[in-house]
Amino acid sequence: MRRIGVFVCHCGINIAQNVDVKALTEYANHLNGVAVAKEYKYMCSDVGATLIKDTIKEFKLDGVVIASCSPRMHEHTFRRVANDGGVNPYRVEISNIREQCSWAHSNKEQATEKAKYLVRSAVSKALSLEPLKPSTLKVIPEALVIGGGIAGIQTSLDLANDGFKVHLVERDPSIGGHMAQLDKTFPTLDCSSCILTPKMMEVAHHENIELLTYAEVASIEGSIGNYTVKIKKKPRYVDVDKCTGCGDCATACRLKDRIVSEFNQGMGKRGAAYMPFPQAVPLKYVIDDKKCLFLTKGKCGDEPLCKKACAQQAITFDQKEELIERKVGAIVIATGYDVMDPTLVYEYGYDQSPDVITTLEMERLISSSGPTKGEILRPSNQQKPKSVTFILCVGSRDETQCTWCCRIGCMTALKQVYLLREKLGEDVEINVCYNDLRSFGKGYEEFYRKVRGLHTNMFRGRPSEVRPMKENLKIDIFDTTTNKLFEIKTDLVILVPAMMPRSDATEFSRLLHLTLSGDGFFLEAHPKLRPVDTFVNGIFIAGCCQGPKDIQDTVSQGSAAASRAATILSQEELEIDPLIAMVDEDVCTGCGICVEVCPYEARTLNERKRIAEVNDALCAGCGGCIAACPSNASTHKNFTKKQIMNMVDDIM
Amino acid sequence: MKKKYALFPGCLMPTEQYAYELSIRETLPLLGIELVDVEGFSCCGEPMKSVNQLLTLYLSARNLAIAEKHHLDIFVPCAMCHLALTECQHVLEKNPAIKERINGMLAAEDLQYTEKRHIVHTVDLLYDEIGIQKIKEHVKKPLQGLKIATHYGCHILRPSEIGRPDDSENPQKIEEILKAIGVEPMDYPQKLDCCGAPLLANLPESALTKTGQKLQAIQELQIQGLVDVCPWCHKMFDSRQTKAGETVAAKLEVPVVYLTQLLGVAFGISAEKLGLDLNLSPVEKLQLEAAK
Amino acid sequence: MSIIDLTSMGEPQSELRKELNDRLTKLQDEISDYCFQCAKCTSGCEAHKLLELEPHKIVALLKRGLLNELVNADVIWTCMTCLKCRERCPQRVAPVEILFALKNMAVASGKQIPGKYTGMLQSILSIGLIQDIQQVTTRSNKTMKRDELALPPLSKPTDAAKFQAGIMKIAMEKV
Repeated sequence: MRRIGVFVCHCGINIAQNVDVKALTEYANHLNGVAVAKEYKYMCSDVGATLIKDTIKEFKLDGVVIASCSPRMHEHTFRRVANDGGVNPYRVEISNIREQCSWAHSNKEQATEKAKYLVRSAVSKALSLEPLKPSTLKVIPEALVIGGGIAGIQTSLDLANDGFKVHLVERDPSIGGHMAQLDKTFPTLDCSSCILTPKMMEVAHHENIELLTYAEVASIEGSIGNYTVKIKKKPRYVDVDKCTGCGDCATACRLKDRIVSEFNQGMGKRGAAYMPFPQAVPLKYVIDDKKCLFLTKGKCGDEPLCKKACAQQAITFDQKEELIERKVGAIVIATGYDVMDPTLVYEYGYDQSPDVITTLEMERLISSSGPTKGEILRPSNQQKPKSVTFILCVGSRDETQCTWCCRIGCMTALKQVYLLREKLGEDVEINVCYNDLRSFGKGYEEFYRKVRGLHTNMFRGRPSEVRPMKENLKIDIFDTTTNKLFEIKTDLVILVPAMMPRSDATEFSRLLHLTLSGDGFFLEAHPKLRPVDTFVNGIFIAGCCQGPKDIQDTVSQGSAAASRAATILSQEELEIDPLIAMVDEDVCTGCGICVEVCPYEARTLNERKRIAEVNDALCAGCGGCIAACPSNASTHKNFTKKQIMNMVDDIM
Repeated sequence: MKKKYALFPGCLMPTEQYAYELSIRETLPLLGIELVDVEGFSCCGEPMKSVNQLLTLYLSARNLAIAEKHHLDIFVPCAMCHLALTECQHVLEKNPAIKERINGMLAAEDLQYTEKRHIVHTVDLLYDEIGIQKIKEHVKKPLQGLKIATHYGCHILRPSEIGRPDDSENPQKIEEILKAIGVEPMDYPQKLDCCGAPLLANLPESALTKTGQKLQAIQELQIQGLVDVCPWCHKMFDSRQTKAGETVAAKLEVPVVYLTQLLGVAFGISAEKLGLDLNLSPVEKLQLEAAK
Repeated sequence: MSIIDLTSMGEPQSELRKELNDRLTKLQDEISDYCFQCAKCTSGCEAHKLLELEPHKIVALLKRGLLNELVNADVIWTCMTCLKCRERCPQRVAPVEILFALKNMAVASGKQIPGKYTGMLQSILSIGLIQDIQQVTTRSNKTMKRDELALPPLSKPTDAAKFQAGIMKIAMEKV
């Protein structure tokens, strides 16, 4: 004989105003199977919880119905309370008489009648609920971090210091990401390499971090707590155990200084054998397999000069791509961003003059280890510019390009203004054309004020075009602060381009069933309350892959993601939500339709038994397989067709 | 097999800019285009847009409907007309309420607009429909090494969202056509500047200043000549060059020709047939006759 | 709740502004509300240097509803319709179309139409084109008209009466 307890919540006046809660409770008390019905103002409160627990004990209840707000609010809470009181937490049924009743109707009489139907059907469901027990899975206490920029580095260090093994996969030959390309960081003007390289070194030497550079994730299978990752290691054609980083191969390379350097954003050149940058980690050389003469044409003169020059005999052209496998319990994605191609805003002349560059390219010019050794020279004639002009918001906040604000553009421009003033001296004209100047962070406004004091010519407005003339570049800008049109003749134009998701972000998201937001960045589970979680349990995101942000917010997210991952990794076992699909083995015909339909790849066909099986850890309980199953073999635990039909009958 | 197009002449070309029409009728048939003269066309309405935009829509719509009646696609040599007709089609397709209203008015002339037709201008007709290869095949006298600058004008390039004959920021089709006939196209900073024609109606001096400023810039750059593809632009740069020079206090001597005139010379057609005598700018400096 | 422009003592005319925005939405999709005054339009405006047209300012005044000031201004007639403002605006506002709407409003409210527009309109009414066949002078100082050249006759509306009737009706209507 089942004994259900019904608890009706007033929810202050949210329910009580439109539903006669007393009458509802009275009604519930007389329903078949109901041992007792009680009401209270705030059932989710401590007092409410105590009421439920005491009533369970007093009336020896074995099932509970809560007539309250949406289960999305407090289902979790009520399950716990019931469990504390001695009732199986899955014998709890929530009847939503707030969002779906009290808040939707204005006639109290009719609303109360409807609430009675809702409660009645909830009771009949409660009577048929099974006392489910969650299954558990063992958690592998290791993490995969994808992306070796500052976000990935921070996450890896935090997790490694927590005592977990971390596999850090980076597709470039060195970690460091975009931050390694910067000269100084705002607003403190810290030397970027100086603050980054210690962390990079720590990563390289940490006993808990396996650093896999020049590698990419090929596939990921499994679920939270138990992922199997296949990683593709690209061949460097250099034996990293022998390479001492001396650089003789690069000096000897036949293609030295003939290949555009990506690290230097195209402002400088490298050879086929190269070190990405002087502070690279690992400090090992690599041979570009797309450009190396020996690798692409099978012949490099009489013999490859790099091989000849290497005293350690570290060059090995017969290295092959390697596929390795790792098992981890949680994954953090920190793949960073791409910069928008400024030719998309053609009118700003990026394609029409070598003297129109981006902020990232300028950063390489400013850097003392850059292609001009820190000299600011016009690309067209290698002369010092007498006038430089920044144009902000190129492709940002633009309904025809990237609709969002890049968040770092204003501060980057201000930083470079400061550094250029320092390098070029007082008599260089520095102009800034801005849309709005966003200096929102700690210390940012102070920095902006400082730059205003440096004889910077600030023009508020977006120019219509940059017109390359014979000797220089002409920009007409209407300055809305003075309401005048100015003609700027300048030697060097620096565009602040939009920040975009990586060009292969969409493709990459398919590896993990990740959702993208409208702008193409990875989607966080909740913008305010869960900024580093994704909708996939066990996978977290950190840094600019989630959305534009500066280094400090990136580092914060890196640590946040590490903490979130640690919550999983620190447990030996995880409970799997039992409210998932299951297969009636007697009925299943092994047709395999459910396997095709499942978006979480949680269904497999057992070849031996000829029936479908559910991977409890992957199943999200979406119900797709249940709808698709032609033989009614697929059911949802505690949400069977019979249970639902009973509820419908009760309402009718 | 010749491709058929209804020739939509507009107002300015048939009543004043005769050289454009002459050179079009000489060159395009050679390239496989059959131009059909259709009765009943009127002004496209674009000059009236400032007065009453509904009138503009109506006039363009009736012209589209006339072409539809003859089951013909439309070739529009004038850039302003091309914009008017294309934009009208765009609005009618997007807004069924306006389409119904306009059709209600068109019924009085037994006309209806019901379906989209292909609307081309000289530039995309030559480059996209006819193609560079075919143009090259007809070159008898390549205009070796002539350094010519291009003027696209505004209305065939913008607004790009409704689809225009060439790219709004970096148009290159005329350059490619020029290369096919042996000309060396010259880039210049003022390439996308307006000719000033739309202001002729109420502020003629400002209009001519615009014209004069652009011609002056071209003159200073040692470019041998300017090629254009719109009767309004040509009216400003060629027919009014002297006046424009007076307005900006400069002596302007820039040869200005229609693209189709240059094409015709390269195809071996006589200067007379191409109306080169109608050009008021000093075209003899180009020594096109010598190309014979 | 009130806003007064102290320079002109003008109050916003929200009805007129709404009417203009509705018209723009019907024809083009862009409305002025999204403008954030970056002035990219004015920076590239072909009419700005010569005639002081400031498209962004026109949009700002429209947003404020100060339409009387705009409709009665001479500057709205200086637009060269080069369309650069519409092409390059990052917020899909089209000042050029707003200017057309303002000019139409000026004409509809009885303001005198400047320059040759009236003449062109009359010509369209009578022969369907903005001007009749012109006599031109050639470089070699000959005079020439269309019929002296190897060109077919002019294309004109076939039934002049029906054509005129159609146009007269429009004069009474608004977009």
